[in-house]
Amino acid sequence: MAKEKETKSMANTVIGSSIVVDGEITGEEPLTILGTVKGRIATAQSVVVEAGATVEADVEGQTVTLSGKLTGNVTAREKLELRPESKMVGNAKAPRIVFADGATFKGNVDMDV
Amino acid sequence: MADMQTVIGVETRVSGEIRGGEDLVVKGRVDGKIQLTHALTVDKGAIVQADVDVKNLVVSGTLVGNIVASESVGLHASARVVGDLASPRVMMESGAAYRGRVDMGDIEAARAAVASRAVARPAASSLATARERPAPPRMGAPPRTVVVATKAAPRFVAPTVGERPAAVSAAPSAPPAFPRVAGAVGGMAPAWAKKKVRRR
Repeated sequence: MAKEKETKSMANTVIGSSIVVDGEITGEEPLTILGTVKGRIATAQSVVVEAGATVEADVEGQTVTLSGKLTGNVTAREKLELRPESKMVGNAKAPRIVFADGATFKGNVDMDV
Repeated sequence: MADMQTVIGVETRVSGEIRGGEDLVVKGRVDGKIQLTHALTVDKGAIVQADVDVKNLVVSGTLVGNIVASESVGLHASARVVGDLASPRVMMESGAAYRGRVDMGDIEAARAAVASRAVARPAASSLATARERPAPPRMGAPPRTVVVATKAAPRFVAPTVGERPAAVSAAPSAPPAFPRVAGAVGGMAPAWAKKKVRRR
């Protein structure tokens, strides 16, 4: 099972905890959000919304991992994961979705079945 | 993980506004506006097309837009910068390309001017505006600055032309300095370029 992504070695994009981005983030590399993003996020790689982060945006990524708060529609090409303590309001579309115990979610789920 | 530095990676583009109270490193591309109470670093290879209001600014890449830095500005040898600059301390390395107005005086006044200009002048302000204010006279006065500009200018203009068309349509709010670039490139050559041609 060589499923490990080369995320560690790649040049990542990080939005720090005191940063507010109002607009669009697009790219081809892993994105980690600790701050606030409003608008739209689209990346060909993973999107990680850390605990304490706030995202009010439509999110598109290979894998989306949520530990913070997210309002908006999420499309993950591979997997969407809602960690404990995470809060999401919006529609989720992904072939595989993981809800951890303690995650809060409101919206539609589309697994393409 | 907790104290991760904010980075806009090489393969990432942000269009819109970035605000915050921490250091920001841009390795990729940012269009719009950047407002920080800390330092902004524009890495080599990065393109920033934004009005910038920060404490410290270090540029090794390309920056188009008006700059207000409350503490210092440093332009490294690989920097290409177009836009008015206001900061009490300005450092330019030999090889840095810069075009615009430098104001080392009243930062607050400059900040207000940038803000009002951004509102008053629409994004697609015509070339007429650019012709109204050609290269500021102050630029010609210190020989140091002239040398830097002349030496690095040819390298500087060419890539700017290539990138421009895409950027124009994409930029949500083109910085005010922007039309002046187009003016210099399309027909209206800057003073130094004309002189060079005549000599040959």
